[in-house]
Amino acid sequence: MGEPACIAVTGLDTFLGQRLVERLLARPGGPRVLGIDLQRPLRFAGRIDFQRVDLTNPTADGQLARILLDQGVEVFVHLAFRRSPTPDLEYDHELETIGSLHVLNACAAAKLRRLVVSSSTMLYGARPDNPNFLCETHRLAGHPDAHCVQNRIEVENLLARWTPRHPDTEVTVLRRCWVMGPTYTDHVVRYFERPVVPTMMGYDPLLQFVHEEDMLDVFEQAARASHPGVFNVVGRGVLPLSMLLALAGKRRLPLPAPLLYRLSNYPSQGQTGDPPAGFYDYLRYLWVADGEQTWAEFGEPIYSTKEAWISLVAARRLERYR
Amino acid sequence: MNEAGEPRGDEMVSDTALGTECDLAHGEDESLDALRLALEDLRSEIRAQLPESRRASSGANDVDWLGLFEELRQRLATLGMKERFAAVDEFGMDVQALARSRSILDFLLDRYWRVEVVGVSQLPRPGPCLMVANRSGLLPYDGLMLSHIVERFGPYAERPRFMVADWFITLPFAQPYLARLGGVRACRENADRLLRKGVSVVAFPEGVKGAAKTFRERYQLKRFGRGGVVRAAIENGVPLVPVGIVGAEEAHPVLFKSHLPARMLGLPFIPVTPTFPLLGPLGLLPLPTKWIVSIGEPICLEPPGDDAHEELLISRLTEDLRLRIQSLVDEGLDRRPSVWS
Repeated sequence: MGEPACIAVTGLDTFLGQRLVERLLARPGGPRVLGIDLQRPLRFAGRIDFQRVDLTNPTADGQLARILLDQGVEVFVHLAFRRSPTPDLEYDHELETIGSLHVLNACAAAKLRRLVVSSSTMLYGARPDNPNFLCETHRLAGHPDAHCVQNRIEVENLLARWTPRHPDTEVTVLRRCWVMGPTYTDHVVRYFERPVVPTMMGYDPLLQFVHEEDMLDVFEQAARASHPGVFNVVGRGVLPLSMLLALAGKRRLPLPAPLLYRLSNYPSQGQTGDPPAGFYDYLRYLWVADGEQTWAEFGEPIYSTKEAWISLVAARRLERYR
Repeated sequence: MNEAGEPRGDEMVSDTALGTECDLAHGEDESLDALRLALEDLRSEIRAQLPESRRASSGANDVDWLGLFEELRQRLATLGMKERFAAVDEFGMDVQALARSRSILDFLLDRYWRVEVVGVSQLPRPGPCLMVANRSGLLPYDGLMLSHIVERFGPYAERPRFMVADWFITLPFAQPYLARLGGVRACRENADRLLRKGVSVVAFPEGVKGAAKTFRERYQLKRFGRGGVVRAAIENGVPLVPVGIVGAEEAHPVLFKSHLPARMLGLPFIPVTPTFPLLGPLGLLPLPTKWIVSIGEPICLEPPGDDAHEELLISRLTEDLRLRIQSLVDEGLDRRPSVWS
């Protein structure tokens, strides 16, 4: 099986969607890309085919299946997930969980060759009883307060049930940890960008990042060739939070745990703040994922955790002097 | 597995050749180097053909100003970051923090507890082993000391890691230090990973039950979990080394345990010692008792042939291990004339 002739991509407006499509189009003689989204992306005008599908629409699965069959899509890359959690819980659930359900139904009807789904290592949950390295087979415990994590766990559960029933379709699930890099932004990056970073008093967890280019590399390979399975997309190495902040010359503001939870809850409930409820548990307990399997399958990452962090901080410093 | 890695390099080169990459990736360095070498050859060829008078001055023009500017910009942006030593190993052990605290650890070992070490030569070599010891005291001083002893006197290149029960490893304020000094959460996944990498592990199968022993129950080993240590040793093919630690159990003499206030704070219990909570945090200081650490004969285990009796065999081996450690502890107690000397 060579390169697929046509790749469908959802979520063209996300960082991952934009950069992945750029990469797929960059090679001459590459596959035809079919974009599926709510809005026609102007940056790809004339370079990709586009179909407007609202994944939250109750009839989206039938519509999508017809498109996939008509266009002869072989590979489906499902990236229509929120980058940062929003206050609109209902829409998040409709888009992430129900939208994925529609995608799965359509893929089953269209008998696709391959399905690539983006996921997160946050789904393992930050818990005091985690081992130092979480394997791909570890239970997805999630976090009861973080609705974005719960939605995605539902997606993974749907997928786990769907995969054995459709043996003709290869399913690749790419769980990525926190992404750092010169151009990537989400609520985690915004949290780390502050000059004074609130941390939890008495805790100094080990953190792990992946560089945006390394992550894109893995997604591109998964779209182009066959790599079935679940993979933790992470960088090599771990660093404690205090050491990361010291490297970047940022101040830490240690706050007692109950105060920090309350402080983080009010703005997110008032729909003004960024880090949602439950975010700070990820700065309290271990949730480092094991990437050995991914590195064996997709090759060594170029950037380590420390280098990914340095590339973010360096890019922000340069922006200041531009 | 290697086939999967190979096409990646080609992709990167072709991508960057088309100029679509925003960032300079390391993968293209090789091809760029080859280009640079070829350019250099060409330059020297041209220079050789030039007349003598111009040969000296022609070298000054090939300064890559744009590259130099970019290089300077990058240097400026990462100022104070790349040069800085910031590295912990994958379990969070910090070599620098260890080096800084070495004098304190040595002081504790030689002066404070005057640790007498028996049988270090018994440690199996080469390769890792799984040390199993009696657990005692509130904070895991015993694990810290034992791994320090093995690093100082033992044959292993890597410092052994000590396992810490669940709620100690997530104890606020203690958690960052424990991880830096080589503490690892006690669970099978961590032990397996360390032993596979060739790092020895110190385990305390008594768990929280051991730490919660009151002064009256000192040096009476509690039940050993569910046979996890034996299973880990068999599956990883490493020898078990029983270790008896005498003295640590009197360093924090727990008179009784208080449960109600502990439940309000989310702790399993609050130990009441002669000095804690009476003296506040000062009461957490351990008493300067005399320690004897006796390292026993290693036990090499064969994987059980038929699995019909495997469970029985493992529980018997676990009990056997417990008795060996108990006898090591008893011997140590006999050697020591008093708690303080």
